[in-house]
Amino acid sequence: MAHPVQLSLQDATSPVMEELITFHDHAFMAMSLISFLVLYALLSTLTTKLTNTSITDAQEMETIWTILPAIILILIALPSLRILYLTDEVNDPSFTIKSIGHQWYWTYEYTDYGGLIFNSYMLPPLFLNPGDLRLLEVDNRVVLPIEAPVRMMITSQDVLHSWTIPTLGLKTDAVPGRLNQTVFTATRPGVYYGQCSEICGANHSFMPIVAELIPLKIFEMGPVLTL
Amino acid sequence: MAAAPEPGEPKERKASCTSLHLSYWKAFKLLGFLDVENIPCARDSILYGSLGSIVAGFGHFLFTSRIKRSCDVGVGGFILVTLGCWFHCRYNYAKQRIRERIAREEIKKKILYEGTHLDPERKHNSNSSN
Repeated sequence: MAHPVQLSLQDATSPVMEELITFHDHAFMAMSLISFLVLYALLSTLTTKLTNTSITDAQEMETIWTILPAIILILIALPSLRILYLTDEVNDPSFTIKSIGHQWYWTYEYTDYGGLIFNSYMLPPLFLNPGDLRLLEVDNRVVLPIEAPVRMMITSQDVLHSWTIPTLGLKTDAVPGRLNQTVFTATRPGVYYGQCSEICGANHSFMPIVAELIPLKIFEMGPVLTL
Repeated sequence: MAAAPEPGEPKERKASCTSLHLSYWKAFKLLGFLDVENIPCARDSILYGSLGSIVAGFGHFLFTSRIKRSCDVGVGGFILVTLGCWFHCRYNYAKQRIRERIAREEIKKKILYEGTHLDPERKHNSNSSN
């Protein structure tokens, strides 16, 4: 989860998120330098004593400030498109889980090897234990394996929702009447939090997602498939 | 998790919200937003860019004695050198990450298939003997 006052991205837990962080750093550096240049140009313009009321054109400068931004945009667009297609890759998932959004909770279905279906409600503050996270903890977490491609099929039973886990680089809309797919491979175990990311009513802020990622060996033993 | 303190030992100070905030505020960010500590290649690029800016600006001033134009050259030098170092470093960083990933996959494969007919080393040895 994010630490207090965090503005930056969370640490990556999947290769796709690592690529997204890398791209973010790249675009951020380009943006910072351009902003610095524009700020300097603005300050120079405001403080110059030079005036010329008969400038008609400046062909060389106009050529530079047309071609250079085009080059910068290409240098930003190429990695962006690469990551766009990377996020759409589906590498033979080992496991499929369905996530259904409701007002205002999530339902998870593990139907590959049995018929496990359960709801995941936010824990109200009165029910929290010391050390628990307010507005983030749920009664039943979605348990997933690491180092295995997992497919999430996401839909909604009523209005639009969005299933999000920032550290995995996942954000997929839950659209009623539509089945959206996202595939991810987690690289480290732990408990990771997300929140509904599409306005869905009064309790939109109170339907979090908690993914408990455990080693594949332990997941295969089947603790999650028995209620 | 920390072990429970022995009797007589001073109790550990519990991490409070304030101390957590202070520790996060201590992380250095250039101009308040550029996290040069944690972004790979950022620190080196900014440092080389600053050096390039000083060299270009000061050098221009030494030859021309024009202050404002030297400042412009300095800023231009900063941007060009920073960008150049940035792209060069990120390219090498990306190549290194690819090499690390390939090495990790090969080590996993070797551990998994050692002694079996799928052992990569056995395949390589039979190819070289043929």
